[in-house]
Amino acid sequence: MTDLSIQVRDEGCASVVEPSGFINAHTVRQFEGALEGLVQAGRYTILLNCRELNYISSAGLGAIMGLIETVRENKGDILLCNLQENVFAIFDTLGFTQLYRVFPSEEDALASLTEQD
Amino acid sequence: MCPSAALRMEKSDFRLIIPSQTRYLNLVTGLAKRASQLAGMDDSTAAKVSIAVDEAVTNIIMHAYGGEEDHSVELDLRFTDTTLEIHMWHTGVGIRGNQIVLPDPKEYVKHPRKGGLGLLLMSRFMDEVRFSEEQGRSECCMIKNIA
Repeated sequence: MTDLSIQVRDEGCASVVEPSGFINAHTVRQFEGALEGLVQAGRYTILLNCRELNYISSAGLGAIMGLIETVRENKGDILLCNLQENVFAIFDTLGFTQLYRVFPSEEDALASLTEQD
Repeated sequence: MCPSAALRMEKSDFRLIIPSQTRYLNLVTGLAKRASQLAGMDDSTAAKVSIAVDEAVTNIIMHAYGGEEDHSVELDLRFTDTTLEIHMWHTGVGIRGNQIVLPDPKEYVKHPRKGGLGLLLMSRFMDEVRFSEEQGRSECCMIKNIA
């Protein structure tokens, strides 16, 4: 099994990023590359579907943090959904649940974007 | 053999030496998680210990050794009746206790920036984190109490 694989697909105005495995200092460049690729393509609303994400270290959190200002300056956002218990604990411990909107499911997250339009 | 005796026999201290390469992080965190479970921690606590170990070993590889891959990191896991102690040794640039400034999560949320979160996760997820130097080697020691 590889440490990390990432699926990216578009759902309306949002791009859904599904990392599967582990985001740590070894795999973070791959994760960062996927996010930066979307921003460079003008896709500023990004939903991280974390259902297959086993853990994320501070290296991965830094990658998200590094892009948040750019996407919000362009009227986009980074949303999170389907966080496993230990992944939620990491986000919550660091106060990230106040910085990012967290949803129980992808459907809920996408619906919140539709309501905004 | 009764189950408790079998568990006690498995709980001997052990040591692992890895090259200073991030490709081994997954191996080390898996080991830390399994050791935590063996020590009697629940899955949620064991996952937090493994994250703390990921952060500590990453700090050693990326900061103490500056990303150089031809060094080594030594991990020593010690089980006591009440704790799991994880000692990590290296010969790179050590951190002194008085150099550590943990970011305040509330301030961090107000003024987001990249980096500086690893030590905070280590301190939040473990009961004790300390740094020391001895005979040219630096140590990061993390202790988790067994509830």
